[in-house]
Amino acid sequence: MLFNFCHWLSQTPFSVWLREAPYPYPVLLIIHVITIAVFGGMVAMGNLRVLGLAMRSVPVSQVIGQFRPWKWTAFVVLLITGLLVTASDPIEYYGNVMFWISNALLVVAGVNAMIFYFGAYRSVSNWDTDVTTPSGARRWAATSLTLWVVLIFAGRAIAFF
Amino acid sequence: MLLTFILQGHPEALPINPIARWEGVFPVIESLHICGFTLLVGTIAILDFRLMGIFLRAQPVWRLARELSKWIWLGLIIQLITGPYLFSGDPREYLAVTAFRTKMILFAVALVYHFTVVRQATVPTEISTPLGWRRPAGALSLCLWVAVLLSGLWIGNL
Repeated sequence: MLFNFCHWLSQTPFSVWLREAPYPYPVLLIIHVITIAVFGGMVAMGNLRVLGLAMRSVPVSQVIGQFRPWKWTAFVVLLITGLLVTASDPIEYYGNVMFWISNALLVVAGVNAMIFYFGAYRSVSNWDTDVTTPSGARRWAATSLTLWVVLIFAGRAIAFF
Repeated sequence: MLLTFILQGHPEALPINPIARWEGVFPVIESLHICGFTLLVGTIAILDFRLMGIFLRAQPVWRLARELSKWIWLGLIIQLITGPYLFSGDPREYLAVTAFRTKMILFAVALVYHFTVVRQATVPTEISTPLGWRRPAGALSLCLWVAVLLSGLWIGNL
């Protein structure tokens, strides 16, 4: 079913163009990776702030709140460029184990972010300016940071497999 | 001669340098290099956005700069280790690539700019720092680092 869709997609003129024209693929990939730097910097500083390791003088809610619209903007760019790169060669990615591992990690990282946002973060007003945040929040931040770093390795490995 | 031998080994023998010997080493070091520039450029970008007045306006510029500084340094150190090691895998090939030479020049310019202009823009002040010239200074910093990434990523496309 999904394979049939990939097969159909790969035959569309748009997919053929993405795959065979000299510029679309490298340009999309470069935009994708540059956006990773901007997105990743804000994610890392947010996680490290909750861990009490970075931006200690800034309240947690400011780090999370002020970065949020920019993280979402970057995420949308990552999503669009990522989908277009996938659309350039759907059959190849369909059969690539690292592609599926990367996407699974992305879902886990997303769920992890939601767990924080609707969990530990709700009581942020009680520990907003603390350097040592509640242990639940710190556990979440360590998990988040690990997931994103592993995702970089897994994402890079897609091209290797 | 000796340097070439150390980096690449005997021409007929398998290279001594792990990155030239096993194909799995390169993507791992490159992933570390991606983590490194995410830390380096990602944190500098936060500072640039602040200089442009885009976010964290309630935070004094100098204090944010001081707090981000160690993470910028950590990113820079990771890059100064992983970068030369990636280069060691095939030095002659890299030197022949225009994108590589462009990237190194832009990297040098961006670093000098960071430790002169951006440093000047983030010196501690007693009252809140007026942005003024700091806005274009931050925007130029961001452009320079994006250009470094752009030329660096283009190397892999050749």
